[in-house]
Amino acid sequence: MEVRDLRKVFNGTTAVDGVSFTINRGEIFGLLGPNGAGKTTTIRMMSTTLPMTSGDVVIGGHSVRERPGEVRRLIGVCPQEIALYLELSALDNLVFFGRMEGLSKAEAVRRARANLELVGLAERARHRVAKFSGGMKRRVNLAVSLMNRPELLFLDEPTVGVDPQSRNHIFDTIEGLRDEGMTILYTTHYMEEADRLCDRIAIMDNGRVVALDSPRNLKASIGDPDEVTLEDVFLNLTGRRLRDQG
Amino acid sequence: MSTFGSRPLALAGKELKVFFRDPQMLFFSLALPLVLVLLMTAAFGGQSRFSVTARVVDLDGGPLAAELTGRLEAVPGVTVDLLDPETAERLLEDSDIVNLVVIGEEFSERLAAGQAPDIRVRLRGNGDTEGQIVNSYVESIVREMLGESLVARQVQAMLAEAGLEVPVEEVEARVGELFAETRESPLVTVAEETVGVRPEPIAQFLPGMVTMFTLFAISLTSVSLVEERRKGTLERLMTTTLTRAELLSGTWLGNFGRGLVQVVFLFGLAWLFFNVLTLSSFASIILFGVVAVASVAGIGLVIAAVSRTPEQANWIAVFFTMIMTSLGGSFFDTSGFTGVMGVLTRMTYNFWANDGFRRIILEGEALTSPPIVKDMVVLAGIGLAGWALALALFRLRGDDK
Repeated sequence: MEVRDLRKVFNGTTAVDGVSFTINRGEIFGLLGPNGAGKTTTIRMMSTTLPMTSGDVVIGGHSVRERPGEVRRLIGVCPQEIALYLELSALDNLVFFGRMEGLSKAEAVRRARANLELVGLAERARHRVAKFSGGMKRRVNLAVSLMNRPELLFLDEPTVGVDPQSRNHIFDTIEGLRDEGMTILYTTHYMEEADRLCDRIAIMDNGRVVALDSPRNLKASIGDPDEVTLEDVFLNLTGRRLRDQG
Repeated sequence: MSTFGSRPLALAGKELKVFFRDPQMLFFSLALPLVLVLLMTAAFGGQSRFSVTARVVDLDGGPLAAELTGRLEAVPGVTVDLLDPETAERLLEDSDIVNLVVIGEEFSERLAAGQAPDIRVRLRGNGDTEGQIVNSYVESIVREMLGESLVARQVQAMLAEAGLEVPVEEVEARVGELFAETRESPLVTVAEETVGVRPEPIAQFLPGMVTMFTLFAISLTSVSLVEERRKGTLERLMTTTLTRAELLSGTWLGNFGRGLVQVVFLFGLAWLFFNVLTLSSFASIILFGVVAVASVAGIGLVIAAVSRTPEQANWIAVFFTMIMTSLGGSFFDTSGFTGVMGVLTRMTYNFWANDGFRRIILEGEALTSPPIVKDMVVLAGIGLAGWALALALFRLRGDDK
């Protein structure tokens, strides 16, 4: 995947300002940044839901600008929100989104069961999502994004507000997906997560990429990589000023 | 991979599942209209037979006065309220009652003697319809009792002339029995024939309520599409290969399914429990309902397409439903409106749907009758226009052309 000079301007305000990077097949690519840095806007443009002002994203050889329909066949998106129908069961949610990906009902049911197994919720398949804990909802959210067996998976803060057990389960799932060859774009506020999971990390601030390298090299850029944390790098690059949005 | 068709069906299936698992929406769509129909029937429907109360003061206290009040009470729809003279006078003076039957002190004595009995019906003003009906019944019963008395006296006189000594009480009892038998099994009866379906009061309110609540429920559930933007599920759908036309078709089908559930439920109850429909008219009403619901589902799509926030959609839905319902004749018949109001009422979904439902229920018209065919053509047009407008206005993604 290649992001080429991506820009987004909302009513005269530049949210994403000339972002470029490439993601190699089979890697976990971290996109970090303070609130308002432009991470979610970048992901929305990459995942075809938000038109870009200029630039382009090429995924699997298809331009998002020119052939968004082809791109949608290749991607899966796990949004930051719990984008599920809470009144429905976990299985119903997965089957529904599978059908929306164009799967037959039988295939959607088969994949839904496999995905629920993957995220450790096979036993709760028929339970309503409304009754689930925050961590369980996050795991269903992730399972839905895998229904079309994407080549590129966007994970936007997939562990926000979850308990350590669910977080570990999500990590294991993500690492398993990477081992199967899936490419993953991962955004998070938790630096230790990025350090553990990501092969390379881009740090964004004010709509620009201010650093891009492996976690170890990023840490080495400001000190001894065995002593320095990724959080130190992050604060060094983005400053300690509060970034309240409102 | 599926073709166009399976995804709208899956969307509609999801909508129906959510509908059936939402107690609030079930109450609003099914229970509330039923409760309102029953309340309106009780409040405004009136009764198929009239009901009046005769206020009586009995100054006589004799057996014939008791017989009079008994016969009056036996009239279907008449209730007798015995009052003491002072209370009755005060109530009449204060206009709390508008009729008063005063049985005089010599009523029984004079009646037994075959003389004009001592009885008056006092009315406040003209006594309203109730007073006039009571007056008429009292007059009729007293005339009947006087006739019986005269016959008894005549029979006794004839028996005496024939040299037969029969006690007067025995003659009166025998004559009384004969008249009682005649009252029980009258020689002349007037047959009552109802043309068309029985005009149960509930039948007058049911069509208006059904059209109002299908429109209301579907308008409000259209908010769900806007709500999906807020929850993030719409954005998730945007990352799938679902097209705008498929999304709108699925939403339309979901609306249609919900509306059809309402129509079948409410008219089904009317058929099974309220004696409003025959099997044949029930079938007609459901077929007509299919067209009506298809139409209102199209309207729901437009609301979903033009709204940007759930709050906005709620306001549009409520405002739009209230205007359509008031103008369209859900609360009162607007078919007689002419001029500007006539044009406005005919611009509503409710007018055409109410007209068709009422023709089938109240007039017993067939689905193929020209007025009902016209209703269905107009409703289908409204539905198609709604669908086309929604397709033109709704943008699922920025790249929708």
